[in-house]
Amino acid sequence: MDIAASLAARSYGAARPLTSPEPDVAGGPGASLSQAAQSFAQVLDRADTTAQQAMAGNADPHALVASLSEAQMAVETAVAVRDKVVEAYLEILRMPV
Amino acid sequence: MSTMDRTLALSASGMQAQAMRLRHVSENIANADTPGYRRKTIAFEPLSLPGDGMGEATGVRAGRVSLDRTDLTQIYDPGNILADETGHYLGSNVDVMVEIADAREAQRSYEANLRMFDQARQMSQSLIGLLRR
Repeated sequence: MDIAASLAARSYGAARPLTSPEPDVAGGPGASLSQAAQSFAQVLDRADTTAQQAMAGNADPHALVASLSEAQMAVETAVAVRDKVVEAYLEILRMPV
Repeated sequence: MSTMDRTLALSASGMQAQAMRLRHVSENIANADTPGYRRKTIAFEPLSLPGDGMGEATGVRAGRVSLDRTDLTQIYDPGNILADETGHYLGSNVDVMVEIADAREAQRSYEANLRMFDQARQMSQSLIGLLRR
């Protein structure tokens, strides 16, 4: 019993590297996707910092409004793209095999 | 950085500059009766913002404050403690009419920038809205 459990753990450990994401291939679709995700995160970070500074009275309200609308547009874009991807995935799932 | 984001940042820089202008106008009006006060003017100057890959973006910012060099008004008030032997003392050189006109101009420019901001936002929102159909 004990042997089987350790065996299972070992084979699980051996299988784990297979499922880990591959390092980015330069120029591949993964690279551009991660770049897009990074710039999205950057926009949100900037909005966060500006909002905090504005609450503390250090940032200009114009900068706050500009970065918040930028963040809003970024989130809307991301949500629209995600909806499209999920829709495509569901379409594949519904395909009769 | 997309072009629309640049438009938002440029309009925001314009609004900020106009807000600075209005601040100095209010300072001038507040000091209209201060003896010896010279009215403050600001000149706008170009401000280069990070570009979007399609050329650089040039915004605007309020530059250095300079003092109006026109002569101070001579006010006749012999009872005033500042009055010289002829009974005059030097007031400020603020013309409230000019300041009000300047304030109105700042307001209109601010509105123009605000409209541009709103229009750019609406355009990009309707562009993203196409994806949702």
